[in-house]
Amino acid sequence: MTPRVAIEAHDLTKIFKSKVRSLEPRSSIFERKEPKTVTAVDHLNLEIKRGELFGLLGPNGAGKTTLVKILCTLLPPDEGTAYVNGFDVIHDQMNVKRSIGALFSVGERGVFWRLNGYRNLEFFSAIYNVPRRRRHERIMEVLELVGLKDKAFELYQKYSGGMKRKLALARALLPDPPILLLDEPTTGLDVISSRSLREFIRNNLSRKACKTVLYTTHYVEEASQICDRIGILNGGKLISCDTPEGIKGIMKKGEVVDIRVTAITDAQIEAIRAMDGVVDMASEVEDPVLGQRRLRLHLESIDSLPMVLNFFFKEKIRLVDFRREEPTLEDAFIRLTGTGLRE
Amino acid sequence: MMLQEAEKIYYFMKRDMISFSTYKTNMALMVLSALFGALSYAYLGSNAYMQSVLETYHMSLTAYLLIGMAFNTYIGQSLTLVQRTINPWSLEEVLVSPTGLGTFIVGSSAWGFIWSTVVVAIYLAVGSLAFGVVLSVNLAGTALVLALGIGTLTGFSIIGAGILILIKQGDPITWLIGMLTTVFGNVLFPPQVMPYQLQIISYFVPQYYFFTCIRLMMMGWSIQMVLPEILTLTLMCAILLPLGYFIYSWCLRTARKNGTLSWF
Repeated sequence: MTPRVAIEAHDLTKIFKSKVRSLEPRSSIFERKEPKTVTAVDHLNLEIKRGELFGLLGPNGAGKTTLVKILCTLLPPDEGTAYVNGFDVIHDQMNVKRSIGALFSVGERGVFWRLNGYRNLEFFSAIYNVPRRRRHERIMEVLELVGLKDKAFELYQKYSGGMKRKLALARALLPDPPILLLDEPTTGLDVISSRSLREFIRNNLSRKACKTVLYTTHYVEEASQICDRIGILNGGKLISCDTPEGIKGIMKKGEVVDIRVTAITDAQIEAIRAMDGVVDMASEVEDPVLGQRRLRLHLESIDSLPMVLNFFFKEKIRLVDFRREEPTLEDAFIRLTGTGLRE
Repeated sequence: MMLQEAEKIYYFMKRDMISFSTYKTNMALMVLSALFGALSYAYLGSNAYMQSVLETYHMSLTAYLLIGMAFNTYIGQSLTLVQRTINPWSLEEVLVSPTGLGTFIVGSSAWGFIWSTVVVAIYLAVGSLAFGVVLSVNLAGTALVLALGIGTLTGFSIIGAGILILIKQGDPITWLIGMLTTVFGNVLFPPQVMPYQLQIISYFVPQYYFFTCIRLMMMGWSIQMVLPEILTLTLMCAILLPLGYFIYSWCLRTARKNGTLSWF
């Protein structure tokens, strides 16, 4: 019987040990190295239901890629267990591999640049055990699915960035696996290609083909647009897991204001962050030439706003734009992780 | 102005030197390669060379060099092909597929050996037709020696590929075997031209047995006539292939555990 849960992890932990260069400047070119440990995945518990489109959202270094690599058997966990399609990722690796299609954030690896798209997929269909008599038909199916049928016989090295990502996705789809692990699939794509790929994943793979999809991203908009549920990963820990609306609900209390200012220092930003009534705040440099920054403040109530504006006046900080906004998933993310996504 | 440009050149050089120095193994191997290269060509040009060849192998210098160079293609392929194809940056895509490591190694190497066979055929055809080299090939013996030689050297290559996965640049095993082939492997000159102390090293190098046997098989000798050399090569192959597979698997497991598989 097919298990109801497609992917599950219990207390999953991965610790990397490495040596990093000492921060002290040295005259010699042979630099001293110091041992360092990083807990990339920290006692993570997760359940993804069959047919679900699950978004794993987190800033760079949150542990998303590490988790995907554990689930597709590339990395052994240090502690805990994980099951994919009911198979243990440590003890039943071959069955896990038969259950998944994986797309990594660096999709060009392993692809043969001097072969055309069709020949690349022909090779991968053999190593993914696609039956020989079905190979041609399946390759043409997946090429049509990802919109590359008319480019099938063009050399891979002539493909655009978007086409390369699509071919990587086609490769993941070749064995028609029930589970897809997509690690930042829109990395490097322009806005149009990125949107079309997201729509394809939601409409064709998730809704029509009923695939279970684990979709990692550090773009909040992506996750909120297509995912049934979202898990927020930070420092290797799953700090929240809910529907996009449920996560936004964290922000129901209070007000969100979006402010653009110039001539503000880091110390002044910290002073705002420390004010009573300011729950949290994200900042990013929008225009380094003009010194323009965007501040996104989460206030306990709108009554706290005059205090902030008064601070701008006193400190001679120039207000460029001001907007009161509905809380977004990004605000919830900032609240939960204590960081901006672009930091 | 000139000083400013000179300073820029200095910083280009410094950047490259620091980057280069991070690949310490590679740096050391390049220096040693130069030393070994000089040594091998010095012997090639020595006076004792011609006489020794004729006495040991009963063949002309042209035939000696032709067979050596032709079959060195196989040795080169055996040493580097696996490493070129089982590299860290293409491994991940294959490791997530339901394909065994053994299939991947054999599959990745197959075309290289087929192409090497074409190259050897060209060498031998040119040698026979243009230079009148007379060959009387023992086909079964040649096939056996070739299989043993490829197996032995592939064992080294797999060890090298494993080490490459761990240290990322400058694999010392493949380098060492490549250098031993040049100087002690009986490719360009027989070890008998070297001082006795250096000749001893040749008897521990599989290529010595491979090139000795393959030359004699190409001249029509029977397997029985070179049985001790063939048995030695068989023993080396029986040890090195499984050892290579074991070491490669260990290096792969270690890189997976450390999360450094796709680093380069």
